Amino acid sequence: MDSGYYAACTAMASRTRALDTIANNLANASTPGYRAQHNVFSSVLAEAGDETESSLNKAMNNYGIMSGTTLDRTQGAIQKTGNDLDVAIQGSGFFVVQTANGSMYTRDGAFQVSANGQLLSAAGDPVMGEKGPITILPGRLSISADGTISSNGAVAGKLKLVDIAAGAGLTSVGGTYYSAPESGETAAVGSLVQQGSLENSNVNPVTSMVELITAQRSAEMMQHALSMFNSEMDKTATQDLSKVG
Amino acid sequence: MFHALYTAASGMTAQQINLDNIANNLANSSTTGFQARRVQFSDLLYQNEVMPGAAATQQTTVASGLQIGLGTMPGNTEIIQLQGDLSSTGNPLDFAIQGTGFFQVLMPNNQIGYTRAGSFQPDAQGVLVTANGNALQPAITIPPNATNVTIGSDGTVSVTLPGQTQAQQVGTIQLASFSNPGGLNAIGNNIYLQTTASGNPITGVPGGPDGLGTIQQGMLEQANVNIVDEFVNMILAQRSYESNSRVVKAADEMLQGLNQLAQ
Repeated sequence: MDSGYYAACTAMASRTRALDTIANNLANASTPGYRAQHNVFSSVLAEAGDETESSLNKAMNNYGIMSGTTLDRTQGAIQKTGNDLDVAIQGSGFFVVQTANGSMYTRDGAFQVSANGQLLSAAGDPVMGEKGPITILPGRLSISADGTISSNGAVAGKLKLVDIAAGAGLTSVGGTYYSAPESGETAAVGSLVQQGSLENSNVNPVTSMVELITAQRSAEMMQHALSMFNSEMDKTATQDLSKVG
Repeated sequence: MFHALYTAASGMTAQQINLDNIANNLANSSTTGFQARRVQFSDLLYQNEVMPGAAATQQTTVASGLQIGLGTMPGNTEIIQLQGDLSSTGNPLDFAIQGTGFFQVLMPNNQIGYTRAGSFQPDAQGVLVTANGNALQPAITIPPNATNVTIGSDGTVSVTLPGQTQAQQVGTIQLASFSNPGGLNAIGNNIYLQTTASGNPITGVPGGPDGLGTIQQGMLEQANVNIVDEFVNMILAQRSYESNSRVVKAADEMLQGLNQLAQ
């Protein structure tokens, strides 16, 4: 069979895969602290590792696949909510939460307080301060730009903010949590927090729509290519060539 | 089959719930003491095809991995704790709380309910009750012939009786607050019930050091619904619903194209 047939097939599979990521970005356009995912396409060379292989052969066996997704780390828009327990991060930092599966990172600052006064994430896991979990004191809560939490002037703790180095393996785990090896974590530099606000998802609906259309149209192109191989070339090979001579 | 179809469906469902909540906020924008809610969303699990940081070769690791997200879900509806505007009614038995506290009222099943709607009136015995007839706790009885009712900033209720110059104390209003008011259970009629998430009530007199707030007589607290914000959120919900349905259409067309290939 023609190698082009498989190339078109692989490309189509990768476009349907891309659609999954685009759908997830658009579905999470209202999720606070959500980081958009971008698709990475790359080519895979199917070769026998033979140096003497002709360049034509290499070009013919070069398949495009979707090889990965990267997290968009750009700042999302900060939306004012007026809730004292909503905190947005301005900068590259992450909050640290203690879950049953170890430390997780999040930029979703929609916090709540447990019955015994502990500061919790929206999912109910303790939010870490620089000296462990934070217990809120009664009274009106105020959170300063550096993350210091106080009630009526009495300091309850300071929010722990960390930077995760690029390439440290930041992984989405759902629930707006991200995990990374602790070795990739450093104290956040230049990140400020803003009380009474939440950071929106950084999904850009325009880019997502363009990506959607591109994926759809390029899948259509692959369909045309496939039907071309299917109906035209193979038909010629099996039906017409036999009549020659 | 494509995940995209289900992922987009999760986005559409989420925006439907978002719109339901916005509709409830707007419907209650004239409800005394109503506290608006906001739906919090979070992303669903991820399908990890290649984990970031996995070994690519013996020496190198994958920098970004291949993670396919499976959509969104509404996590909770957070109660917005902002103070509502106070409007003057001139009725001496209308009380507004400026602060975080709640009035305590006795429910028919002897449970204590908590409310910020401070529109009270005396029942046949002169006991102060809410519009639904739930008595304010601790109970305060206004003598039927009282000519004047005054509430001090510390919650003491005093009345003037005909022929007397000296005001007479008939009780003290206490307020309750919670360490996590967002965890209260709303049961309608402006009433909240305590839950294990909200914690036990901290009760005290108004204006005290517990930060319960003060009581304003002759005022009512309006709903803290911000109409402009709700409309903006409604537009966002609608557009987001549309973009998710566009994904469904795209996935459908791609599948249709695939089916045509086989013909």
